[in-house]
Amino acid sequence: MSYDCAVSVRVPDSLEELVTGLAADPGCELLAGGTDLMVEINFGRRRPASIMSLSRVTELKGWSEDAATGELVLGGALTYTEMLQPDLAGRLPALAQAARTVGSPQIRNAGTLGGNLATASPAGDTLPVLVALDAVVVVESADGRREVPVGDFVTGAKRTALRPHDVVHSVRVPTRRTRQEFLKVGTRNAMVIAVCSAAVVVDLDSCSVRVALGSVGPVPLRAHEAEELAGEVLDWDAGGVLAGDAHRDGALERFAGLVSAASRPIDDHRSTAAYRRHAVGVCARRALERVAA
Amino acid sequence: MTTAGRADQPDQPDQPDQPDQPDQADQPDQCSYTLSVNGQEHELRGAWMGESLLYVLRNRLGLPGAKNACEQGECGSCSVLVDGELVCSCLVLAATAGGREIVTVEGLGAGERFTDVQVAFTETGAVQCGFCTPGLIVTVHDLLERNPRPSELEIREAISGNLCRCTGYGRILEAVETVRDARLAAASRAAPVAAGATRQEGAG
Amino acid sequence: MTATQAAPGGVLGQRLLRKEDPALLTGEAQFVADLNVPGALHAVIVRSPVAHARILSVDVSPAMSVPGVVAAFTGKDLEGEWAGPLPCAWPVTPDMKSPAHLPLATDKVCYAGDGVAVVLATSEYAARDGGDAVAVEYDPLPAVVDLDDARSDRVVIHDELGTNTSYVWELTPDQAAVDAAFADAAHTVHGHYVQQRLIPSAIEPRGVLVIPQPFNGEYTLYSATQIPHILKVMLALTVGVPETAIRVIAPAVGGGFGSKLNVYAEEALALALARKMRRPIRWIETRSEATQATIQGRGQIQDIELAADAEGRITAVRVKLLADMGAYLQLVTPGVPLLGAFLYSGVYDVPVYSFSCTSVFTNMTPTDAYRGAGRPEATYAIERVIEDLARAVGVDSAEIRRRNFIKAEQFPYSSAAGLVYDSGAYEQALDRALELSGMDGLRAEQARRRESGDRVQLGIGISSYMEMCGLAPSRVLASLNYTAGGWEAATVRLLPTGKVQVVTGTSPHGQGHETSWSMIVADRLGVGPEDVEVLHSDTAIAPYGLDTYGSRSLSVGGVAVAIATDRVIAKAKAIAAHQLEIAEEDLEFRDGAFTAKGTPERSMPLGAVAFEAFTAHNLPDGLEPNLEASSHFDPPNFTFPFGTHVCVVEVDTETGLVSLRSYTAVDDCGVQVNPLIVEGQVHGGITQGVAQALFEEAVYDEDGNPKTTTLMDYLVPAASELPSYVTDSTVTPSPTNLLGVKGIGEAGTIGSAPAVINAICDALAPLGIHDMAMPATPERVWRSISEARGEEAKGS
Repeated sequence: MSYDCAVSVRVPDSLEELVTGLAADPGCELLAGGTDLMVEINFGRRRPASIMSLSRVTELKGWSEDAATGELVLGGALTYTEMLQPDLAGRLPALAQAARTVGSPQIRNAGTLGGNLATASPAGDTLPVLVALDAVVVVESADGRREVPVGDFVTGAKRTALRPHDVVHSVRVPTRRTRQEFLKVGTRNAMVIAVCSAAVVVDLDSCSVRVALGSVGPVPLRAHEAEELAGEVLDWDAGGVLAGDAHRDGALERFAGLVSAASRPIDDHRSTAAYRRHAVGVCARRALERVAA
Repeated sequence: MTTAGRADQPDQPDQPDQPDQPDQADQPDQCSYTLSVNGQEHELRGAWMGESLLYVLRNRLGLPGAKNACEQGECGSCSVLVDGELVCSCLVLAATAGGREIVTVEGLGAGERFTDVQVAFTETGAVQCGFCTPGLIVTVHDLLERNPRPSELEIREAISGNLCRCTGYGRILEAVETVRDARLAAASRAAPVAAGATRQEGAG
Repeated sequence: MTATQAAPGGVLGQRLLRKEDPALLTGEAQFVADLNVPGALHAVIVRSPVAHARILSVDVSPAMSVPGVVAAFTGKDLEGEWAGPLPCAWPVTPDMKSPAHLPLATDKVCYAGDGVAVVLATSEYAARDGGDAVAVEYDPLPAVVDLDDARSDRVVIHDELGTNTSYVWELTPDQAAVDAAFADAAHTVHGHYVQQRLIPSAIEPRGVLVIPQPFNGEYTLYSATQIPHILKVMLALTVGVPETAIRVIAPAVGGGFGSKLNVYAEEALALALARKMRRPIRWIETRSEATQATIQGRGQIQDIELAADAEGRITAVRVKLLADMGAYLQLVTPGVPLLGAFLYSGVYDVPVYSFSCTSVFTNMTPTDAYRGAGRPEATYAIERVIEDLARAVGVDSAEIRRRNFIKAEQFPYSSAAGLVYDSGAYEQALDRALELSGMDGLRAEQARRRESGDRVQLGIGISSYMEMCGLAPSRVLASLNYTAGGWEAATVRLLPTGKVQVVTGTSPHGQGHETSWSMIVADRLGVGPEDVEVLHSDTAIAPYGLDTYGSRSLSVGGVAVAIATDRVIAKAKAIAAHQLEIAEEDLEFRDGAFTAKGTPERSMPLGAVAFEAFTAHNLPDGLEPNLEASSHFDPPNFTFPFGTHVCVVEVDTETGLVSLRSYTAVDDCGVQVNPLIVEGQVHGGITQGVAQALFEEAVYDEDGNPKTTTLMDYLVPAASELPSYVTDSTVTPSPTNLLGVKGIGEAGTIGSAPAVINAICDALAPLGIHDMAMPATPERVWRSISEARGEEAKGS
C-alpha cells in the first residue's frame, strides 16, 4: 500500500507478449477499461507493483464469426460501446440491451466484456445475458487455452475461475435462432447499479427458454423451473410465441413467481431482498412478454 | 512491447515537465513516456507510474480544463477524447496512453476562439458555475461528431455521464439542439441535393 | 416563454449573455484546485471511520516513513494552534447548547468523517498514502442516528452538555387562540413528514490553498467558499491571526447551494499549518470526503396540523419540528429551522399560528444550510397536508388552494407568524400553471388509465409556494439572535476613460453577478454593460461584504449597486451643472449624458464628466475629485417570491418506478434583471427539489456508518432522469426595494418537492395511498402499493 512501490507499466502489443509477461509476473494487474482498477489506485486502496494494459493487444479486440462453427467470438477487450453497434446488436440484442444500461458513454467506451467477467460483480450487467446465451469463456495463458462455460467461470461474488496468469481471451456465443431480451431495475436510468436484472432467451432451435438473473445472488442464477414453465407455455409451432390462453390462466404470473423463487437476494443499502425478489420476477416476466408476444 | 519504466519516487510532481529534455525512454528503470495532447508531444519523466491521465494533464502539463470532481468515472467533469473515444481521464492510466492522440477542451476548436458548441452554451444560458462545463463541451462535441441528428432522448443519454448540479440540464439540452440544427442547416445549404432529406431537422 | 419587462432603451430585462462564460467554457477559469503553487504541501485529513468513539491513540509516525510526507499532526499536536473553536454564528436561544468543536478531534470522534490527524506531503498521492499509514485506535461508543433516540438521551454525545438537546425554540403568538381554533374546527388534518438528509453535492468539491508570507506574517487564503468576508473574520477568531493579516479570495467557485456557506475545519487547518510550516498548504476534498466532511441539508421530522372551517378555510396551523443538528453546530446550523419557522402557513391566509422546534445532536455529519434552508421543509409540510384537507372537505387540489390564498389586494400582508409579505398574486400563478400543464387532458387520461387498470398510473401534483429570502434586515436578524447583520456593500466608480468599476460584497459561484450587476449599472448610467467591470470575492479588493446565500445577492447586493450608482450620478450631476454653468435642477440625465432641459445642445456625456472629475481642474468649490460612491444597503424587509408548480408523473405499479412526464413551473420573482439567468436558476432549483423527492438521501446504518459515499450510491440526477420543464413567469414587483426585485436562487427547490410527491399520491389515490416518504424510490413506492393491496411484501 505504500507510496514507494515502484510501478512497472507494460503495454504489450500481442497476446503472446501478454501471456508470457503474465507467466513471468503472475501478480501483475491487468488493466482493461480502468473502471475498477483506476479507482482503487486513485484512492490509494491499491498500489500494484506492476500493471499490464490490454489496450494494444489486437487479438482481444472486436468480434468475429467463427467460420467453422458459426459461433460469435467476442473479444475480451470488446467494449460496451461496441456491443451497441448495429452489426453486433442485431445478432445479440440482449447483450446490447445490457450494455446500454451500463454507466455512461464514457464508461461504455472504456469498460470491456473481459473486465465485466473478470470483476465478476454480482451486479455485472452482461453476466446474466452471457449465461442465458449459453456462452463459453475462452481463457488464455502461457499454458494454453481452455474453455469454461460462463456459469462455471463465475464461482462467487467477485470470484472467478481465472488463475493469476490467466486472461479472458474471448467469449464464444453459440449461434442459434433466438429471441432475447434483457431488463434491469435500478433506482435511476443512467449510471446505476442494478437492483436486479433478468435476461430471457427463447431458443427456437432447442425449443427451450433460458432465464438468467443478475444482482439477486452471488453469481448469475438460472431460473430452471421458470424456464420449464415458459417452455410449456410457448407455442413452438407458431414460432415460440405465447399461446393465446397464457395470459388468461395466469401462467405469466406463475412464471414471475418461479423466477422470484429462484432468486437468492440479499439486503443492502440499495435495496432489500424482498424488493429484489419481487422485481426480478417482474423483469423476467416482462422480458418474456416482449420476446414472445 | 512498449515499456514505460519504473519510477521509484516522484520528485516535485507539480513542477511542469520540461519538454526539451533528452530522450531516455529506452532505459527501462527511468520513468519516461510520451503523451500526445492536442497535437503536441509531451515527454513525461520523473512521474510516478500510477498517475491518472487526469492528474498528469492538470498537474504536469498545465492543462486544467479537465476537472476532478470524483476520480471514479461518475461525474464526467474530466472527460477527454483518447484516440477519438470519449473517456473519463481519471480512469486512464497515463503511462498507457503513449502513442494515443489525446484531445482536451483546450484542444477543441482548431484555432477558433470558441467552438460552435461553446457559443451555443453561452447563448442558451447553459453555463452556471462552470465546473462541469469543459467536460460537457468535450462530450457534446463527441456526440455531434458521431450522431449529427440526436433526438432529445439521445442527447439526454449522451450527456448522462456528465453531472451538473446547477442547471437541471434544460439549457444544456437547448444548447445541443441549437448546434445540431445549425450544423444541419449549414450542411443542407452546402449540399442542396440532400436538403430535402434534412429539411425537417434543419429548419431551426 | 418568459415574460420580459421591456425597459425602453435600457438593458434591464434583456437576455444578455453572461460575461463569466468565456473563461468557464474553455477551462481557463481558475478554481482552487487549478492553482498550482510551487512548494505547496498537500494536506490529507485522516478521518474517523466510526461514528462515535473515544480516541485511544493516534500514531502518525508510520506516515512519516512514506516518501514525500513532510509532516503529520494529531488533533492534540495542534491543540495549541486554536484561539477559539470553529464558529457557530447563530445561538438561537440564550441557553442553546453547543459543544466545543476543534478542527481536529482530540479525545472523541462524534461522526464518521470527523478529522483526527493531518498529513502533509509533496504530492496528493503521497499525502493519501501517508494518511492511510496513520494508525488510530478507537474505543467505539454506541451511536445515535435516530432523532427520537437522540432526544431520549439514552446516549449523550457531548458529555459536557449533559443532553443531546441543543435548544427548544417557540413561536406561538397566542396559545389560547390556537387551542380555540382547534377546538372549534370543522376539519382537522395532521401530517407527519420526514425531511431526509441531503448531500449538497456541488460538482466542485471544496478546497483551500493558503500562501503565507512568513516574514511579514500575512496570509492569502483561496477557498472554494460562498463567504470570503465572513470566513476572514471567523478564521481570525479561530486561528488567532489578526484580521488585517488575512486576505481571503474565492476564485472561480463550482457551485455551493449552502455547502460552501461555512467555516470549515480544513480552512482553519490550512491557515494554522501554513503558519506553522511557513509553506503554502493545499487541501482538495475528494468526492467521498464531500459526502462526510461537508455539511448536509434538511434532516427534520415534521408534525403539522391544520384546523379549518366547514368550507376548508384554514383557521390555524400548528407545527412541531424535531431537527437534526448532526454532531456539532456549524456556522448557521441551529438557525436553519428558524428560516422555515415563519412559513408553515404557506401562501394561505391563516389567522392563528404555532410553531416549536426541538433540535438534537446525533452522530452524523453536521447539518446546515442547503438550498432553501428551512423553507423547502416548511413548504413541503403545508403543501402536503393541504392535500389531506382537500380530501377531508371534498374539493380538489386547486380549489382548496383558491379558498385559502392570500388575495392580491391583501398585500402587504401581515402574517400570523409575524412577517409582512411584500407583494403577491398567487391565484394568477396557479391559473397560468394549470393552463400550461394541460390539466383537462391529463385528468381525462388519468381517468382512462384508472378505468382500464393500466399498470402505469398517471398522477398530477400541484404545489403553490412562497418563501422569504433576501437575507436579511439586520434588526430582524438581531431579533433571531443571529450574530451578524444582513446588509450588503457596493462601490461604483467611474474611471478616467469613462469605464465603470463596480465592487460588490456578494460572492457569486454560478449566479452570474458580473453580468447582472453590469446590467443594473449600465441601465442607470446609460453605458454599455461591456463597459462595466465587476470586482468581487477578494477581501483586499472588496473589503466590505456579507457574501452570497439565502437568495440575497440581487435584492440586497444588487440594490446596493443601484443605490451607489445613483449616488455617482448625483455627484456627476453637480459637476456637469458646474461645467455647463446651469442649475442642477435644470439638468436631466438621459442616455448617458447630462442635458439641459429644453436645450439639448447643452449637454455633457458622463464620460466627459468622469474625466473632469479625475483631472479635478474645474470642480465646484468643496467637491472632492473622482466619481465614486458606496452604499451599505440594509434591506427594510425580506422579499417574497412565489409561484405554482404542476408535476405529472407516471407510476409503474409493478416495480414502483416513478417517471416524471412533465413539469410546469410559473414563478414570480418580481422584476427580472436577466431572464436568461432567472430561467437557469429556476431549472436548476426545480431539479434539486425533484432530486429530494425521487432520488437523494444520505443513508446511515444504525451504527452511524454512511452508506452513500460515492455518486453511484448518492443519486444526483443525470440528464436522462428528467423531462424538459415548461417554465413561465409572472411579474409582481417588490415594493420594498428600488429595483422591484426578489430572490430566485432557491425558489425552484422550495416549490418542487411537494409537487412531485403530491403527483405520486394522486396517481395512487385509488389505492388509498395518501402519503409517500422521500425519496420515493421504486422500492418504497412498491411497498406502499403492496401494503395498500393487502399483499405481504415478503421478507427474505
